[in-house]
Amino acid sequence: MRSNSLWFRLLASSAVISAVLLLTAAFLLNAIFVHALERNFDQRLRSAMDGLLASIDISANGKPVLQSQLDDTRFTLPLSGWYWQVRNTTSGETYLASPSLLEQLIPTANNETSTDGSGLFAYSAQDAKGTNLRVIHQDISLFGKPQKYDVRVAGNFSELSGEITSFQHTLFGLLAGLGLALLSALVLQVRFALRPLAAMRRQMNDIRAGKIDHLDENYPNEIQPLATELNLLVDANREIVNRARMQVGNLAHALKTPLSVITNEIGKNASSLAKKLREQLDVMRDQINLYLERARREARAQTAGSSTEIAPVVEALARTVKRMRRDQKIDFQISVPADLLFRGEKQDLEEMLGNLLDNAGKWAKSKCRITAAPLAHENRDARAWLEITVEDDGPGIATHLREQALKRGQRLDETKSGSGLGMSIIIETATMYAGGMALDSSDLGGLKAVLKLPMVV
Amino acid sequence: MRILVVEDDKDLNRQLVEALLQKGYVVDKAFDGEEGHFLGDTEPYDAIVLDLGLPVLDGVSVLSKWRRAGRKTPVLILTARDRWSDKVAGFDAGADDYVTKPFHMEEILARLRALVRRAAGIATSELTCGPVVLDTANAKVTVEGRNIKLTSLEFRLLSYLMHHPDKVVSRTELVEHLYDQDFDRDSNTVEVFVGRLRKKLGVDVLQTVRGMGYSMVAPS
Repeated sequence: MRSNSLWFRLLASSAVISAVLLLTAAFLLNAIFVHALERNFDQRLRSAMDGLLASIDISANGKPVLQSQLDDTRFTLPLSGWYWQVRNTTSGETYLASPSLLEQLIPTANNETSTDGSGLFAYSAQDAKGTNLRVIHQDISLFGKPQKYDVRVAGNFSELSGEITSFQHTLFGLLAGLGLALLSALVLQVRFALRPLAAMRRQMNDIRAGKIDHLDENYPNEIQPLATELNLLVDANREIVNRARMQVGNLAHALKTPLSVITNEIGKNASSLAKKLREQLDVMRDQINLYLERARREARAQTAGSSTEIAPVVEALARTVKRMRRDQKIDFQISVPADLLFRGEKQDLEEMLGNLLDNAGKWAKSKCRITAAPLAHENRDARAWLEITVEDDGPGIATHLREQALKRGQRLDETKSGSGLGMSIIIETATMYAGGMALDSSDLGGLKAVLKLPMVV
Repeated sequence: MRILVVEDDKDLNRQLVEALLQKGYVVDKAFDGEEGHFLGDTEPYDAIVLDLGLPVLDGVSVLSKWRRAGRKTPVLILTARDRWSDKVAGFDAGADDYVTKPFHMEEILARLRALVRRAAGIATSELTCGPVVLDTANAKVTVEGRNIKLTSLEFRLLSYLMHHPDKVVSRTELVEHLYDQDFDRDSNTVEVFVGRLRKKLGVDVLQTVRGMGYSMVAPS
């Protein structure tokens, strides 16, 4: 788990807060328990004090005397932690003391707390042995005499330490369990709460891959604004790219007119300057076409999942080629199923088929045949493909020359017009769609070009 | 042969006009779509060179308007847009040919010749009428193999008549196709040129049809 993550922040902060709260709770519960024990103990000491007072009498010289020994044997065992004593409040003279005290005094304290407002005080102390004592103390006047006596009774509070320890063990065990339960609940909670963020990241990936256009609009309220902003950013980005691309296109097209002007101005001039200019003009023209083509290709890479009807494209192109080559009176036989869809951009299909049909028209004597059909599925999961076949009754291309015909810029017959780029445009575009083109001979007598492209099922 | 050039780039327009004039055409020019449309709509051109990216009114709209109005003048589209969808749109609007920039002047000239010939229903680049042969590609006239030197106006006259064989061409029609729009037309001058042309050709192929005009007839 990386420290710089929401996951870590949520877990660490919650864990620290829970730990502090649980420890405080433990401390408080412990204090309350100990306090309750003390009150209870004080109560027992008080009954011991009552017993003591009941057996005290005043002798003739005004000193208190013990009429009978207390029943509790703990007060007789030396340093048992159970003590009592009666002293003069003013002189501090000890009149009576339990045998267990062994001539010592019960320690005094100045943090005595009143238990009930009746003049009874309680406090904690330690005896000579180090035993924890709980002491109650009352200044009493006996039998209506003005003389006050300081009476203290102490009990061994250490006897309760076992009880306290076992309570503390239980308490800490329970709280630790509660802490662990909180932590695991927290892990689940954080994982659940952060799930939309993971979904958002996946969608952003899909946007980059061109699988989807925008993020969903159903994110939780806290991150929906972020998703909306991201969508706006995606739109803005797309618009900038589109504008830049359009400007490349406009620039390239705008340059073509001045290029024409210069080319024409040079004309057939045979000077070395004219030769140099012609050479450079060709370079410029190629560059312009290259960047135009690139801009178009990048525009296509963005639009995923489009589909194009093939039949109308073929018909429009055949009509156009027929008009372009009106003198040849070519008969186009078209057989394309109306519901056949190409998985890709219309413009790409137009460029590929346009070049193919133009080429077929260029060589055809009188007939061109265009057929299209889906290819048989290899298996259910594989992508679906279709084949478009363009045939002519022209001279065709000899088998050993076909490979050369498919190379970029190759022209087998220099006498016919054309840049020789047509074939390479077809192949590059088809390859972009993971398809391809093959050349064969047609039963019409000429060339048969077979274009394999992805199909929308 | 009278040609209209509609192109907004001044230099390109000038180059086209100069090249066409050199080949013996009569040329009018327009620099925006509206002017181009007006001229094409009112003057009887034999062919029109039309740029697509025009100010005021774009080329495809100009062409569509002409075709809707029933003008059948052959139109050659000259454009920088070289996508097939542009070509389809151009031809569907009624274009007869399509050349993309940058282009070579020779290509435009050759295609224009073909357009004019096709409009006249002639398949070859050489027009013949008996012993008279007119080579449209090189703007040359021979009679029985002899080269005949003609002035540009005489050439235009002969060329127009030979593009319309077996048809009587009126003087007004001739004037409309021989002079550009700014010329002060006087159909009487045609008679003078016809006379000179007859003399230069030296064979009797140019007939006067009284009250109607002129006609090329091969001597039997």
